[in-house]
Amino acid sequence: MRKLYYLIYILPLAVLISCSKDLPTELAYENYVFSSTDEDGGNWTPILLSSGSEIMIAEPKETSSAEYQAELMEVKNAIASITSQQKENLKKWTNNPVIRWNEIALELIAKYNLIPGPNEDGSYTLPNPANPEGPPVFPFSHPPYASRALAYMSVAQFDGLISAWHYKYKYNRAAPYLQDLEINHAYEENPIPSYPSDGAVIASASAEILKVMFPLEVEYLNSKMSEHLESLLLSGENVQSDIDGGVKIGEEIAALALTRASTDGMKNAQTSKAVSDSIANAAYERFGWMWINQEAPQRPVGLTPLFGKVKMWSVPNVEAIRPPVPPTPGSPAYEEDVKILKGYLAEHSEEYRRIANFWQDGLGTYTPPGHWNEFANAFIVKNKLNTLRAARTMAYMNMAIMDAGISCWDAKYYYHYPRPIQTIEGFETIASTPNFPSYTSGHSVFSAAGAEVLAYIFPDEADKVRGWAKEAAISRVYGGIHWTFDATVGTTQGINAAQYSIDRAKIDGGDNF
Amino acid sequence: MKSYLTNLTGAFCLFLVFSTYSLAQSPTDELMMPKNDFCLLFNYEYGEFNQYWEGDFLRKNETIATVQRRTAMLMAAYGITEKLDVYAGLPYISTNSTTPNGGKFAGTFGVQDLSIGLKYKALEKSSDKGDFSLYGSVLFSTPVSNYLSDYQPYSLGLGTPQIAWRGIAHYQLNNGFYGRAAVAYVWKGYTEAERTYYYNDGSYYTPWMDVPSSWNFGLALGKWFFQNALRVELSASNQTSTSGDDIRPYNAPQPTNKVDMTRVGAFAHYYFPKIKGLGVLTYFNQNVAGRNAPKMTSFGVGATYQFGF
Repeated sequence: MRKLYYLIYILPLAVLISCSKDLPTELAYENYVFSSTDEDGGNWTPILLSSGSEIMIAEPKETSSAEYQAELMEVKNAIASITSQQKENLKKWTNNPVIRWNEIALELIAKYNLIPGPNEDGSYTLPNPANPEGPPVFPFSHPPYASRALAYMSVAQFDGLISAWHYKYKYNRAAPYLQDLEINHAYEENPIPSYPSDGAVIASASAEILKVMFPLEVEYLNSKMSEHLESLLLSGENVQSDIDGGVKIGEEIAALALTRASTDGMKNAQTSKAVSDSIANAAYERFGWMWINQEAPQRPVGLTPLFGKVKMWSVPNVEAIRPPVPPTPGSPAYEEDVKILKGYLAEHSEEYRRIANFWQDGLGTYTPPGHWNEFANAFIVKNKLNTLRAARTMAYMNMAIMDAGISCWDAKYYYHYPRPIQTIEGFETIASTPNFPSYTSGHSVFSAAGAEVLAYIFPDEADKVRGWAKEAAISRVYGGIHWTFDATVGTTQGINAAQYSIDRAKIDGGDNF
Repeated sequence: MKSYLTNLTGAFCLFLVFSTYSLAQSPTDELMMPKNDFCLLFNYEYGEFNQYWEGDFLRKNETIATVQRRTAMLMAAYGITEKLDVYAGLPYISTNSTTPNGGKFAGTFGVQDLSIGLKYKALEKSSDKGDFSLYGSVLFSTPVSNYLSDYQPYSLGLGTPQIAWRGIAHYQLNNGFYGRAAVAYVWKGYTEAERTYYYNDGSYYTPWMDVPSSWNFGLALGKWFFQNALRVELSASNQTSTSGDDIRPYNAPQPTNKVDMTRVGAFAHYYFPKIKGLGVLTYFNQNVAGRNAPKMTSFGVGATYQFGF
């Protein structure tokens, strides 16, 4: 009996200890040796700038100058009194902070990806950029919003880094740790000139974009930026003037990107009820059906009916990739789909459930565009890309994803096709039905576009990522919220949309190595 | 009185059922089984709510309308010695929303968590006025089916191993009135979601969610009637989680939430004097306050049957 009591006390203790998990809050990676330095990166074709030299920064002081020597001393002193927290920060930011800023964006997307609930009287209040505190708070970072925030941030990083590369190899100023051997270098050696700091370009471009996309997070983003800029100095890779040059580039390219954003049509995407009704009626006139929100209380306007009119990055004309008309409800092709959906629901398959949940990326998460950014982050580290190539990957992928989203939304509100819960009597779902028309599936289009760009940049992963995109597409059918043709046609649509970005990437100079 | 009570106690066995979010079922009372006696309980519970606390805001949500939860549970108890009982329980649960509702979510069903527990009678003191006794119990539970805990509010359970350490003090007057107080620390482990990213006051890149542990307190006042054939009890209980986040505005709950709640209830158990070993019970519970918890109303009926070897 004593033995039994002993076991009673020991067993749970053992369980407690063995089960204590360190739950990851970011991608785990160490700083690394880049697979290339891309000396000609300053000649690559940017997205918004005419060339890498368009943004002007001052010519750096000679390394022999008193000013530069004083800056070296400042670095030395800072490193000499480094705190344990600052050491942690160095480890966290690494020498590829493109990933960390991407993760900050994903975190803010997840934080603000909350759909406003109804008011007491059953009405809904929409987030208002003029009054971001709300309630409800601004923004509601749904998938179109997320795709756009990520695209502008990545494009600003990429253009800013082309500019930085231009000056790095123009002035060829070596890093502080090479100037003074007493300066400790925190990271692996990469022979890339230090003026201007690429890290500072990434920090300031990212922070400036995100501050506008998430206006309530200005303080948080400023603190992240100062922490990062401080790390650049403490790493031994940059003096203050390297950082200042980078910040200047970051601010200028962010301003340019934000100018484009202010006139890209997004501010008109969420329409009035009158406009929304006229869009629905036009579809009804044209096809004889229309999507109707099934929530209670009913939402009067779907999500961003005019996102399909937002300015695209690489596709000249959204109608060029508009998919064909979906099956008419009641037609044999439609009825076949009803049977398939009912079959999935009845099957209670744990495998379908797993797939539906793995790809759900619903409210409160980083959205499907965010999921593909997470994949891209991992591939960037795996392939040891430098910051310029990392930003290039993200820029083309996120432009393609946003273009695909615009194309998807064009189809959604042009065809205004009903969701399964609207037309199948008594139908139930295991995923949450979103507040916009069914055809085509956003997950399918976003995912196919993301996968195509990743397949182009990382050809070894092509089969894998294309397989993921197909699974993401069908996951929505398993979830009960999409028709199979929403998924299959959406995949093709995403591939088509991405091709324009890939064609552009092929001639930007980045492939010439 | 004492020997009579001990004999009679042999005819009883029961768990108080906390089926909602919180504890699994646990040995929370003062009743002990005679050595080598075996007892079975079959219990059915119906619970429903149409409001829940989102943080401390009481929300009505037509997306889920009224959520219904039905639990059928089979439990067994066995007296290893006069002072040590072992327990096991297994519930089958089904959940759904009433129609019409705005979400059109499918409910779910299946076997939930297997629980195994021990209860030890640590102290018993009798005086002219009544009997005082102290108990310690430990209850371990773990999921036995692949239900998804991250499908709230329809999830069958929290999807994590739990260990409840409980101390119980009981005082009974000779006139049949009694009072009972219990305190428990309920350790809850991790549950595995089917997504690899979630937000819990920051990003988490893992399917594993840390389910907050909790302190649980209970008070009960009761009386025995009809020569100890009927026991009637009023109770109040509280669960306070030691960590966790709030449900975000108009968003679904998730297993990382800090679930707190206060509940009041009434309970009756009748032992047929003429049918040896058979008893029936019924109870009613109402959540009256909470945080990230449903305002659940539930009632249950059950039958107990006890026999010796």
